[in-house]
This record gives sequence, C-alpha cells and structure tokens, in this order.
Amino acid sequence: MTDTRRILVVLPMYGGSLPVGRYCGNALRELGHVVEYFEAPDFFGAFSALKTLRVGTDRLDYLENSFLQVVSQAVLAKVETFAPDLVLAMAQAPLSRQALKRLRRDKVPTVMWFVEDRDVFPYWKAFAPFYDLFAVIQKGDFAEQLTALGQPNSFYLPLAADPGVHRPLELSAVERRTYGSELSFVGAGYPNRRLAFRQLAGYDLRIWGNDWDGETALAPFLQRQGARIETEEVVRIFNATTINVNLHSSVRPGALVGDGDFVNPRTFELAACGAFQLVDSRLLLPELFAEGELALFSSMAELLDGVEFYRAHPEKRAEVAAKGRARVLAEHTYAHRMRTLMEHAAGFMPVRNIPDHDWRAQVAPHLRQELEALLQKLQLPPTVSFDDLVWALRSREGSLERLETAILFLDEWKKLYAGPRPGK
Amino acid sequence: MNSGKIDMRSPSSSRHLVIQLARFGDLIQTKRLVRSLQAEGEVHLLVDESLRPLAELVYPGVHIHGMAAHGTFVGDVLSRIHQDLGEIADCDFHRVYNLNFSGPSFALAGMFPWRSVRGYRSRQGQRLIDAWPEQIMRWTRTRSLTGLNLVDVWGLYAQQPMAPELVNPDAASRGGGIGVVMAGQNARRSLPANVLAPLVQAALGRVGHGPILLLGSGGERRAAKELAALLPASLRGEVRDLVGRTDWRELHDTVAGLDLLVSPDTGTMHLAAHLGVPVLAFFLSSAWCHETGPYGRGHLVLQSAAECAPCLETASCPHQIACRRVFSDPSVLRHVSGHTSRELASGCLFMASGFDALGLTFTAIAGSDPWSERRRAFRGMAAAYAGVPLSDALELTPDENWMRERDWMLPQTLRGRIHD
Repeated sequence: MTDTRRILVVLPMYGGSLPVGRYCGNALRELGHVVEYFEAPDFFGAFSALKTLRVGTDRLDYLENSFLQVVSQAVLAKVETFAPDLVLAMAQAPLSRQALKRLRRDKVPTVMWFVEDRDVFPYWKAFAPFYDLFAVIQKGDFAEQLTALGQPNSFYLPLAADPGVHRPLELSAVERRTYGSELSFVGAGYPNRRLAFRQLAGYDLRIWGNDWDGETALAPFLQRQGARIETEEVVRIFNATTINVNLHSSVRPGALVGDGDFVNPRTFELAACGAFQLVDSRLLLPELFAEGELALFSSMAELLDGVEFYRAHPEKRAEVAAKGRARVLAEHTYAHRMRTLMEHAAGFMPVRNIPDHDWRAQVAPHLRQELEALLQKLQLPPTVSFDDLVWALRSREGSLERLETAILFLDEWKKLYAGPRPGK
Repeated sequence: MNSGKIDMRSPSSSRHLVIQLARFGDLIQTKRLVRSLQAEGEVHLLVDESLRPLAELVYPGVHIHGMAAHGTFVGDVLSRIHQDLGEIADCDFHRVYNLNFSGPSFALAGMFPWRSVRGYRSRQGQRLIDAWPEQIMRWTRTRSLTGLNLVDVWGLYAQQPMAPELVNPDAASRGGGIGVVMAGQNARRSLPANVLAPLVQAALGRVGHGPILLLGSGGERRAAKELAALLPASLRGEVRDLVGRTDWRELHDTVAGLDLLVSPDTGTMHLAAHLGVPVLAFFLSSAWCHETGPYGRGHLVLQSAAECAPCLETASCPHQIACRRVFSDPSVLRHVSGHTSRELASGCLFMASGFDALGLTFTAIAGSDPWSERRRAFRGMAAAYAGVPLSDALELTPDENWMRERDWMLPQTLRGRIHD
C-alpha cells in the first residue's frame, strides 16, 4: 500500500479518452487514493449550444475560446478547493496553457496521459511542455521528440482494461440473440476498416459503433444505424460474439492491416472479458502479450484464414481467450497502469506529512465498527487521513448517514473551536 | 394556478426542522419563523445544548433538540454529535430551515435531501445559498442604506409568514423596576461603567422607581460592581446585583417582571422584546437597530449615528470608539429620562420601533436621520422581492437596486425558494 494521495482526474468533454479517465479514477480509488473528477462532460451541452447560434465564424471562435477559458477556470477552482497532490489530465482535457502555467506556478503537479495516436493528433506538441509529466502509448522516437520540445519527463504507459467493467458475463438467450453473432466489430468506421470488412460480408457479421455513414456495402451489417454504443452494451457484445475482430484504425492510404505501433484499449478489454478476438499485429504487442495469449493476423489473408480456423475450433478459442484474460488480470489492468503512473509522479508530488498518531484510535469503541464499514464503503484504506475521509464524504451523493454527518460536523466544529483536527 | 394535486404523504409532510446553531439572541430572533411554521404543522428546533432550556421556555409546543454545537463542549465530540443527531436523523422532515452561514450548519445540511433544505444547503459537497439569504447578504454590504430586521429575515423563510405585529406582545411595563444588561458579546458594542451609570440614572428617572437589577454573565461581575459604585449613594440601595447568578429560568422570570430593560444589543434584550417588556437599548459600533433592534411595538433605541456607523465588527476601530462619547451627552440623558423638549446631540438618534407590512421598523423621534427616505425606498424594493405588498413604498432609483445580472437572467422563485 502506497501513501494515500488526492488526485484530481480531469476528464475530457467527450471522446475515447473519457471512459479511460473513469477507469483511471476507479483504479486509483482501488489503490487507496482519494479521487475527484472534473466532470467536463457536464459542460459539453452548453459548449455545443454555441454551435447552433448561426453567427460569424470569428464570433463563434471567440465564444468557444472564452467558454473553454471559463471551463479551465473551473478546473483551477476545483484544484484550489480539493488541493490535490496530483492532477491527472486525460487527452482533450479542458486545461488551457494559461491554466497549466498557473498550476505550475502554484506547484500543483500535472500529468497528461495522452492516449491518442501522436501522428493523427499532433496538437500534443503545443501542450506537452506545460505538463510536468507526459505519459504516452507509443514508443519509437516519441520521448526524444518530447524532450526536444521541452518535455523531458515522458514515459510509456500502454492502455489496459478495467476488470470491474470488462468481465465475463453470463448472458441470457435473449441477450445472446440481441448482441451475438459469429463475427463482430465494435468501433468507428475508419477507412481501413471499411475496406477490410467488406471481405467479411459472407459471414454472420455485425458492425456496431459510429462514423460508418456513407458505407453502402456494409450497411446491412451496421447495427442501430451507427448509433454510439455504451460501454455496458459493448461488454455484452464482446461476450456474445464468437469471433471479435479487432482491427486497429489506420488513416494511411492503402494500409488495411498492421502497420502501427500502439495497442488499442479494445485489445485489453476483449481479453479481460474472456472473449475471443482476432487482432492485427502491432509493433508493441509482443511485449504485452506472449504467443498463445492472443490470436493475431498480419494481413487480410491471415484474418480470413483465422476466421475459418477458429470458427471450427471452439476449444482453441477458449484456450486463447483464457490465457489472454489471465495475462490482462496479471499485468494489464488500469490499477497496474496507475501504480506505474504514481511511481513516475512520486518525485513531483510534495512529501506527505503522515501524522504520528492514528486518528481512528480516538474514535469511541462503539463507533469503530460503523467507521470501518464506512471506510470500506468509500473504498478508503485504513491509513486514510481524517482530511481525506472528510473530502470523500463531501462528494457523496444523496442524504448522508448519521455518522457521516457527524464526521463532517466535527471537521467544521474543530475548525471553529479547536486546534488541530484529528490526524493533523 | 393550482395543480389540483392532493398531498397524500404522511403527517411528516408538515414536519419542519429549524436549525439555529447560533447564540442566545439569534435563538430568540428565530421566533417569527418558528411561530409561522407552527401554524403549518409540527416544528422541531435544533440548538446548541447550552440553549436547550431557554428554547424550551421560549418555544412551548416546539420539539427542542440540543447538540454540542458550540466550543464549550469538552470530551469525545464525535460520539456526542453522533448521539445528538440520533434524535433528528429519522424524523423525515418535510422542510429543513438551515439558518446559519457556518461550516457546521453546511455539514448538517448534508444529512437531508438537498431539495428539502432552505437557506444554506449542501449538495454533493457543494455549498449552496438560497437566493433569499444571498440577497440579504448583498444588501448588508450597504448597511446604512438598508435595514431588514433579522427576525423578519428568518421569518420570511416561511411560506406563510405570520404578521409581524403578532410575533411579540406590545411593550408594557410590569412594575418590577429596571434591568440593566452590563455588556453584549462584543465589548465594543457595550458602554463602560462611567458612561453607563448616568444612563441608568436617567432611565430610573423615566420609570420613577427601582429596583435596579444588574444582569449579565459571570465575566461581568467586576463591571457590575464598578457601575454600582458610580451610581449616586441614594440609588445604591436600589441595586440588586444578579450578574452571573441567574440560570435561564431565573433570567426569564426576572426580565418578565421589569418596567424597562436598559441594554446594548444582547440576547437579554431580545428576551425582553419576546416577553413584551419595554427596552431602552443603546446601539453603537457595529450594532444597527434596523437589523437587530428589539422586535415589537413600543421599544426605544439610542442609535449611534456617527459617519462610520454601522462599522464592521471584525475590523479594528481607527477612532478609539468615538461613537461611545455621545451617550454621555446631557441631551441624550435628558431624552433617556423622558424629557424630550430639547434637541438631541448630533451623532445620535433616538429611535422608536414600529411596523410596516414587511416587518419591524425604527423611526427617529429625536435627531435627524439622513437615510430615512432611502431606507423606505429600500424597504419597498425588499418587500417586492419578498412578495409582501408595501403600500406607501418609495421608488428606488436604478443605481440603488442591489440587483445583479443573474437575478434578472435566471429563473427565480419567491424569496429564492426552490421548485420542488
């Protein structure tokens, strides 16, 4: 168990890094840290409304920038109140450069987990130097490039799965009919996928996800008219599918399969579900999964061969899926990633003053059992400080229980009338 | 328009909790709210444990709950609070009126569904202030021009506030002599013995007879002795020093028998007003009769009208509390003794209490009050905001409207109540 830290996870307003941010928060809590989210998605509705104004583009640009500055200010206000030991920003987090400068001035350590393809989203070049730490999902000369731009503190942090979310499910017959098929794919309709999946048209294929518009050849296979699928349903689809096709996206013309380096989250999530997948080879895959833990393909021909082989060999599918799941649980969960991230961040965070005495020892015996149950409910470690417990209680939804209220009251009472609060 | 829906909930739908964790005077000043709510249903009142006996005296028929809210409690505070909260945790209140802007009050608010709380609420750790108290706080930034009695501020939280003149009985002498409260909680609001003694003597002249009962807490015993020593020898025999010698019941019964209470802005002063005992109060420094003057018809206040009045309690005084001096002026003493034929010294106003539809008012019966017209205009605007018609209100000029853009832009309900 490491020291309990306060971590503010700044979520993006929308996009692929949004669920990843939530998985990170889950994992950090699992590791015993006190986590607060900045819920940027709550601001997205108002932000979107600006685009419906029918005003000049320069005016819209001004309004959008002004709005994002306000959101950035909201993050700063949250930092001021929560006093985090670390701000973990996900890709597309609404933190302006001005806000990042302010955080640096105030000695609040920041880390960005850039879970995007650096070649597709090059904006990282303008923002990377303003973070204290920069975690990336790619290798190659990325670290050198970052250093050249003024960000010497980068590290490789591959994606992962959240076993609390991505897990094997017992599905009913109705659910199997609703979500199941021989082959399926869940994701966006990138050009390489559009071309590749046309060759799977002879199978019982289902395609789920958005950005498939204009794709007439695959239209019969597209589910729900290309609506976005929520995570809970995605997990059901993974579990109900015989062969999940996991083809990484590519925007390079002509490359249908296997020319990239990073491993997408779907690889880990499918494996964590104990679902069988055929995944295209990636440069960084061998160091994450050993042979036999995933079924790979490097070309369209290998994909088609793989489909034929594994259709006919359910026992082989089960064997690969089981090994893949075991590997993910052992090494590739978000808890593993967050542990690594916290190790990297340790040098940037202030030394925590651990109180000499255990504040819980001051709690009357008849309340201790209730207190233990409360700590468990809040996923807080036994070593949690009184202040961190108070913070965790403040963010609880709904009406508080008697003990919870009493603890918050005590905190305020001590501020008014007594010297140090428990554990301070 | 009436929706036609019938409230089918249990009797708890008219069960109210008032959280009043402040001090003596504030407890008494909660009366208009408590009485208004009693007309609607069952009322529970949560107070500091030390004030529970007093609350039981002042609020018959109200369920009084005490808790270790003030810093006087020593011992295992968490266990004590946990136990205290047990009394109210399962009461299923329809409304919770949380009256104090303080950390402990915000903490308590979290125990109830946030929509049922009025005043100071907490929603997932975010402290929220209803529009009504927020508006009041804004008004108090220009205190000399505004003025809404605290009894009315809290009373107007109620859906159907009771008429202000029904809250306390009109002031009437009881035959038991005069009471003198030695000091308020804030020393700057009180008068030293050498200033107080002539005032007491003048007040005795007004009433015509003793005894002179000295009242206060144990910490004021020395001041009481000084005061007694400064009174003419002929009056010393009238002095009964009860300072530090009364419990709540004794204080209540003593005050209830007086002809007049002479006091700074104190809890005892509010107790006298609650009982309908005439008050002659002196308000100086940060004390402002338009905010915390004795509630009821027939009370008098000597209000310091120094240019810097009312000042900020927490800021140090750069004038060595010069506003005290006027209370020694012979013209002030003449007015206190009941002789009102001559002018009153500048820097002081002799104010008499009364009512308008919004609540308690104070009007100068001696001295010149430069802000009276503007204050009337303010009350007209405040009454409109509170949804109380005020017939003879003056128009407020646009630059004095104390409004913000968001008042105009965001949907509001009457006095900042929340839509359920």
